Amino acid sequence: MREALLSAQGVTVHFGGLVAVDGVDLEVHAGEMVGVIGPNGAGKTTFFHTLSGVLVPTAGRIAVAGDDLTGKSAHIYAAHGVARTFQTPRVFKEMSAVDNVRFGLEFAGRTRQHAHDAFDDPFAILDFLGLAAVASVPAGGLTPSRQRLLEIGMALGARPRVLLLDEVASGLTHAEVEKTAQLIRRVRDELGLAVIWIEHAVRVLMSYVERVAVLHQGAKIADGDPRSVARDPAVVEAYLGEEGDTQRMAA
Amino acid sequence: MTLRDSMLATLLTALALTAMPWLVSDFALALTLTCLMYAGLAVSWAMFCGATNYLSLATAAFFGMGAYVTAWGAEGLPYGVAVLIGGLVAAAIAGLVGAAVLHLRGAYFAVITFGLGELVRHAITYYEKAYAGTVGRVISEPPDSVTIYHTVLLLAALAVITALAVRSSRLGLALRGIGSDEERARTLGVNTRRAKIAAFSLSAFFAGALGAAMAMRWTYIDPLTVFNPFIGFQTVLIAMVGGAQTIIGPVASAVLFSLLTEFLRLQFPYLFLILLGLLLILLVLYLPGGLASLLVRWRWRKSGA
Ligand SMILES: Nc1ncnc2c1ncn2[C@@H]1O[C@H](COP(=O)(O)OP(=O)(O)OP(=O)(O)O)[C@@H](O)[C@H]1O
Ligand SMILES: [Mg+2]
Repeated sequence: MREALLSAQGVTVHFGGLVAVDGVDLEVHAGEMVGVIGPNGAGKTTFFHTLSGVLVPTAGRIAVAGDDLTGKSAHIYAAHGVARTFQTPRVFKEMSAVDNVRFGLEFAGRTRQHAHDAFDDPFAILDFLGLAAVASVPAGGLTPSRQRLLEIGMALGARPRVLLLDEVASGLTHAEVEKTAQLIRRVRDELGLAVIWIEHAVRVLMSYVERVAVLHQGAKIADGDPRSVARDPAVVEAYLGEEGDTQRMAA
Repeated sequence: MTLRDSMLATLLTALALTAMPWLVSDFALALTLTCLMYAGLAVSWAMFCGATNYLSLATAAFFGMGAYVTAWGAEGLPYGVAVLIGGLVAAAIAGLVGAAVLHLRGAYFAVITFGLGELVRHAITYYEKAYAGTVGRVISEPPDSVTIYHTVLLLAALAVITALAVRSSRLGLALRGIGSDEERARTLGVNTRRAKIAAFSLSAFFAGALGAAMAMRWTYIDPLTVFNPFIGFQTVLIAMVGGAQTIIGPVASAVLFSLLTEFLRLQFPYLFLILLGLLLILLVLYLPGGLASLLVRWRWRKSGA
């Protein structure tokens, strides 16, 4: 089997007495699209922090394309092709939307060449996301859902090999969610990225990813194709009482 | 204004400033020198602090270091070389200190950079008393005032040119990202530590070089004069009142402040600090974007009309 592009082994994060992430293993290959789900506070975002170098895990190892990056600064992860979005958008508010996208191109993306030239131009990326009309608007003035889209654009500007998406579709209408999911699938297909995507809208996510991992109280309790994961008794148990998501998942 | 107009204006200003020593009185020349010094200090301060939102009070420290390079090297070093070395020493120390403390932000960074000035001042005082048996130093053969004026003019112009170059460079973009959200900038590939150290050090170069250049002008220097915290505060105030995100703002505000200080000092010798303080409070309250925001507003109104 070929080497995983991103590999997390036994990743654990403690916040004082709280175990936010508990010995999570995850391997993702180029071209793979993996969903990550789990109830509120399951540790999904914290796990992303470790995968992008924002947080050094208490224990465990993280390797990108075979290089062990554990303990390295976030810009090293970015240089290795890991790009992410933030659940609460963290766009550069005073900069225009296009400068936000240009930022990644000037730094992490500078050394790598995309398979697809269209993403070498910040305006093309904005256009792809449907944000061309607001290119010169300061990012802080955009609506929250547009800021989430812009977060994707910033990550694409970094010319990623691994794209980490944290609830980019939250707050969107059903039609917009579908559109965003199609966009994400398109970049995955065109650029051959590994995509890891956290989303609360479980059903939509399940219909777009080929594989889904479930976190519960920090631990990974399931990992496999969406159909079998939805029927997994441990997953059903974890989601009991969670807005009837299990019924919807099983449906 | 077209590009040609602004190039012409820049050229004329440069010519006028260069010819100043032969055109105006000694008093006016001294005043212009103060304007230029503060313009250079404020622009170089804003180069790092304006973009990154760091509050550095280290200007006095770097200025003083430069001044002492001149004082100690006065006999052996040609003036130009002393100024260059003054800048380089300040830049090197800024690099070292920056590497140690630039991970701190806000009040911590402000207090530490203020402490740096005090530390160096006391260290030099101690050294001079213990080993040189003196408190201050007399610079016996200073260059003539026209040379000093032209040196300071050159440094101020270089500070403006450097600030312009940094602003349109990748370093400038990195600094703006750091000012907006440092961690986000890191996740997009910026080695924020390196960018901050480089910019902090670059901005210290100008403070050091200006200190070295101005020391000659005072002929007698002691630690209290050249490490005067007032220089640091004044620089920060000028830059903030002018608009630290801009380049023209600190320049305009340096001129305004220097003239105003002089005018108030002459007209109201007892009240001038109070008046200056009041003015400052009003400016900060009603013009938080600095003087540069007036320009933006004016342009906006003009284009709206
Ligand atoms: N910086 C922090 N300090 C202390 N505790 C934290 C910190 N960040 C997260 N936590 C806690 O760690 C746990 C996991 O949080 P995390 O944000 O990773 O969950 P999540 O799965 O992303 O949740 P959500 O679906 O609500 O976004 C929660 O109990 C949270 O309160
Ligand atoms: Mg989360």
